[in-house]
Amino acid sequence: MTTVMLREVRAVYGTGPTRVTALDGVTVGFDSGTFTAVMGPSGSGKSTLLHCAAGLDRPVEGTVTIEGTLLNALDETALTRLRRDRIGFVFQAYNLVSSLTAAQNVALPVRLAGRRPDPDQVAAALAAVGLAGRAGHRPSQLSGGEQQRVALARALLRRPAVVFADEPTGALDSATSRQVLDILRGLVDRDGQTVVMVTHDPMAAGYADRVLILADGRLVEDLTDASAEDIAARTARLEASC
Amino acid sequence: MLTLRGRWMSLLGAFLAAAVGVGVVALSTLLFASGKAPVPDRLAAAAVIVRSPAASVTADPFPEARPWSSPAATGLAARLAAIPGVAAAIPDRVFYAQPVLDGRPDESVTLGQGWAGARLGGAGLVAGAPPQGDRDLVLGRTFGRSPGDRVTLLTAAGPAEYTVSGVVDGAGVFLSDATAERVAPGVRAIGLVLAPDVDTAGVASAAERVTGGDGQVLTGDGRSALEPRADARTRWIGMQVLTALAALSGFVTVFVVASTFAFTVAQRRRELGLLRAIGATPRQVRRMLYGEALAVGAAASVAGLAVGAALAPALGAVLVDAGFEPASYRVRFEAWPVAVSLAAGPVVALLGVWSASRRAGRARPLEALREAIVEDRRMGRARWAAGLSCAALGLALAAGTATSDDAQNGATFALYGAMALVLAAAALAPAVVPPVVRLLTWPLGRVRGATGMLAREGALTAPRRTAGTAAPVLLTVAFAVMVSGMVATSANAYAARRAAAVETGTVVVPDGTPGLPDTAGRGPLESTVYTGERPLSVSGVDRPGAAISRGLADQYGWSVGQSVPMVFADGETVPVRVGEIVDSGLGQVDMQLPRDLVRAHDPSALAPMADLRAAEPAPAGPGIRVVDVATYAAEADTEEDRLIWIFALMLVGVSAGYGALAVANTLLMSAVHRVRDFAVLRLAGATRWQVALAAAAESALVVAIGTLLGGAVAVAALVSIRAGLSEQVRAPVDLVVPWPVVGGVVGLCLLLAVLAAAVPARGISGGWTARRSR
Repeated sequence: MTTVMLREVRAVYGTGPTRVTALDGVTVGFDSGTFTAVMGPSGSGKSTLLHCAAGLDRPVEGTVTIEGTLLNALDETALTRLRRDRIGFVFQAYNLVSSLTAAQNVALPVRLAGRRPDPDQVAAALAAVGLAGRAGHRPSQLSGGEQQRVALARALLRRPAVVFADEPTGALDSATSRQVLDILRGLVDRDGQTVVMVTHDPMAAGYADRVLILADGRLVEDLTDASAEDIAARTARLEASC
Repeated sequence: MLTLRGRWMSLLGAFLAAAVGVGVVALSTLLFASGKAPVPDRLAAAAVIVRSPAASVTADPFPEARPWSSPAATGLAARLAAIPGVAAAIPDRVFYAQPVLDGRPDESVTLGQGWAGARLGGAGLVAGAPPQGDRDLVLGRTFGRSPGDRVTLLTAAGPAEYTVSGVVDGAGVFLSDATAERVAPGVRAIGLVLAPDVDTAGVASAAERVTGGDGQVLTGDGRSALEPRADARTRWIGMQVLTALAALSGFVTVFVVASTFAFTVAQRRRELGLLRAIGATPRQVRRMLYGEALAVGAAASVAGLAVGAALAPALGAVLVDAGFEPASYRVRFEAWPVAVSLAAGPVVALLGVWSASRRAGRARPLEALREAIVEDRRMGRARWAAGLSCAALGLALAAGTATSDDAQNGATFALYGAMALVLAAAALAPAVVPPVVRLLTWPLGRVRGATGMLAREGALTAPRRTAGTAAPVLLTVAFAVMVSGMVATSANAYAARRAAAVETGTVVVPDGTPGLPDTAGRGPLESTVYTGERPLSVSGVDRPGAAISRGLADQYGWSVGQSVPMVFADGETVPVRVGEIVDSGLGQVDMQLPRDLVRAHDPSALAPMADLRAAEPAPAGPGIRVVDVATYAAEADTEEDRLIWIFALMLVGVSAGYGALAVANTLLMSAVHRVRDFAVLRLAGATRWQVALAAAAESALVVAIGTLLGGAVAVAALVSIRAGLSEQVRAPVDLVVPWPVVGGVVGLCLLLAVLAAAVPARGISGGWTARRSR
């Protein structure tokens, strides 16, 4: 089953001489229970693809569907509700609210939805990312890897249809990167979670079932079960030809 | 991501802005509410007072009621005395009388009464007997005289020797009833003294039936309407000052709080974007900001009220000293100013956050993800519309100022016009800032070194932030320049008019008295006559027949030779023949009448001054001073200027003081949020001092932008004021800008701005790294 579907999506930034076409007619679907990595050189449009798929940005042409709901038709409030209820996000820069504790950060989307967070559920989400003893700490008291795991727990709390991760390991060293990637892999294998991750790191992409490579706003490769070495070779070739 | 400290600072800034604003609002409303007239002491014992029919209110805010004639008053008093429960109904006969003690007129008392009136004030004899003869008087014990003493008393007839026949409690001056009837033939109030345990309301309604339409029945606090006219006038001036102060402080508060909140929201874009990204709807973001504003506003209300209440008695004393309030003025803590002040904080905060929250709600989730925020420079259509309509309103009011021939209207139009132009300038600032920055920093681009470039680019890349920090400067400079310029220009215009009218010669002027008696010369007598309900101010001069102004003649359709019935101060109706209609107006009065006619009907009228003809010997006596005309004009100017300058300084003090606080506030907030930018500069090799210098230069640039825009607003207002003034004085008027005041205000803004920006920037140590805390 296809959870997220993009058809003929075009995205353009700026006007006049500074106009940039970030996505140039991309059609791609993400199946339920799969782990997809999106790769490509800087400026290839990989982050834009993620933002359009997640409803953070609106394409100028083309359609985006999540679990059969057409995002183009939703207004800002309905789109926000859909994001809150059905989509989880993990960013490179963690994006935790610095004045709140780890547990409060995890529970924030539930509160925003106007519901009382279940403390057991919050504790379970933190335990699932290995932070059972850290619930009362503020972001400034946590390491980068721990902050990213809090962000992951926040993304997973509502059991979203799909988790989008934008360079989740970009700011982490390789050991902590592996911890975070193991958690993501486990989610897909154990719970059938759908994960879409943008990365520039072939090692991280090696954890995915499927690797998409973008260049100049177009899809140039679609690999299944590729090894990290294979991915590294292909991206290196692509970057050299640019 | 924002640090907790940064967020705290933002809210603290908004809190300070709102608290100080509420403080000023509390102060001015408390003082305003305290300005209620007291019941005059001389009528304290009269539970019910019947007043003669009130005159209609026209240009003069204190028309004296049209008096009853002596027989009418006596007849009405007899009918009122017949009401069951009324012990006595006594006409309130008051006239000019001032004891001379140790050779100088006593300035605490200028009102004499008939002996019967002593009962209205509840004063009883403590020694001696009631006054019998024409030269007997009873004095209050505060004068320290005993029965048998001789005392000089000034009346409209001049100084004369009286014998003290008795002494009463309090501070009154009483002559025999026969004398009082002669010097005060017109009666404006009849006091009813009630028998013990009689219901006031019952007597009041009976009195209503007796008087019919010919009078007004007053009880309780309503009796304060009979307060002396001079006190009422002083009080009215005080009300004008406090109203202007309250209006200006209210406007400044909403403006500063709104720009502070707009600023806070602009600084928190990333935080708000993050909330949007993880699922907050635009409405939730708005609600969160409203909640914060309410909390901040409520706390600010309490703090502001406490500060305002603490300062009110001190400022009240200043108002009395300055002559804006009568000596009987006391600060009282009424309920409504407290309620208004408590409501003001939340209301002001909500108004302030309203437009900012709309923008915040539109913050897009992606803004949390962007690394550097380069602002979208385009302004929304609503902002353009609001800015342009404020500008149109401001220009319309300026045109109203320019064509107004009434000084009071002109000043009001000018104040509101300036407010509208300030709003317009603030709303349009994001569009105006980039060209202004380019203009101001053009020389900097030619200079080597990083400071100028950093200041210029910093201001250009974030026009909204620059506009937000420049807004308080704009407000401060605009009002300081406008108010001080208005005062200086109008003082100059009036002085020029007086100088043109000056004649050489010598005049007699009052010295410690409200006016001159007949013994000081034949000066113009000041009195009031009534045509129908309308009071007309008249001047009794040596001329045959009446002279009226063209405006009055046109209004009533009077022509030369026509005989018009007028009610005089003694309540008698007399036909007055119109002798002349004067095109250019009669200065301060509506009408001139023959002096002897006025004297015959108003035995207690006084003259403000008298010309001394060369042939006459200079009069002597207490309460008189002989000066040359130039000195007289200069003294009148000095007194008027002093009042106007105190008024202007209060307005400038409030707007400039508060504005300066807002300048420091916004810049400090801005500096705290820009710590990261400054840390990057340090890493790029800038020394501590270079960072401080760059921050200071950027602040100085912001102050320059605010000064330029604020100055433009003030000049627009002043040009219209000048046009209005030359309309009034019918002569060209020079625009006077008091540069020391302007320089002081701009200097204060600059000093605070540079300190607020440079001190936190300099505090960034070399060890600070541009950690990615976002």
